[in-house]
Amino acid sequence: MIGNDVIDLSLAKIESNWQRKGFLKKLFSNDEQQLILEASNSFEMVWRLWSMKEAAYKIFTQQHNMRFFAPKKFECKLTQGFKGEVCYRGQQFHTSSIINTQYIFTKAGLSKEKNSYSEMISPDQIDTKIKNKLNVLTGLNISGIEQIKSRNGAPSYYYKTTLLTSSCSITHHGNYGAFSFVQA
Amino acid sequence: MDVLFLRNIKKEFMTREDLIISLQKIVKPYVQDQNAFNNLSEETDFINDLKINSANLVDVILDVEDEFDIEIDNDSMEKMLSVKAALDIIETKLSAS
Repeated sequence: MIGNDVIDLSLAKIESNWQRKGFLKKLFSNDEQQLILEASNSFEMVWRLWSMKEAAYKIFTQQHNMRFFAPKKFECKLTQGFKGEVCYRGQQFHTSSIINTQYIFTKAGLSKEKNSYSEMISPDQIDTKIKNKLNVLTGLNISGIEQIKSRNGAPSYYYKTTLLTSSCSITHHGNYGAFSFVQA
Repeated sequence: MDVLFLRNIKKEFMTREDLIISLQKIVKPYVQDQNAFNNLSEETDFINDLKINSANLVDVILDVEDEFDIEIDNDSMEKMLSVKAALDIIETKLSAS
């Protein structure tokens, strides 16, 4: 299983004020708030942790057909470099992030997935690029590849009745988009 | 009489329609689908329909707390994904306050 999340940092700066009263307290555990306040770049830490929570949540919603807003309960730990772990209801999600001045991209997985593919692309190209990639991987005709969304919004790709992605996650924010999927 | 006390009484007797109008004002700055906003009903979903950024959902929650002078606990927050859920939570909290 795979989940992802991208944050356009210049847009996050405009859309949200992380220093707003109550903001950190509602979204982050005490340990996470500590990490944020002690970070040399608190703004970046806020969105790094947020993207980890979102990426893990996107795996959980593929496992369970439910939606909810409980970011605080997805507890983040930073491990090594840009890697991290998110814990929710006893499950551990392993994350790795790409961080630069423009964006933060986090990918979460339950275990080391074979045949997983991830790419950052412009937001309006996501669906086309996934179909292209699946076409290259399977040799199946692009025109027959279709996206189906589950009730809670998780996407899957099919060729007629054949499932092509055992897990798929799509994200976009501002100028950035990305997909991650595991080939079925 | 205490001004705050009067304010609470007033909020407590707000009708469902009044609450929707208040909520509409609160979500407006975060909405990214104007069409869905213009057709807002109890069934409207904050994220799927109004396309509110999930990080801005916390702003909606904080604004609701400020506007109605209530506290939205984590369990309530977890459910606050639609207009209907938000109204139910606001009504419950107002009647308890």
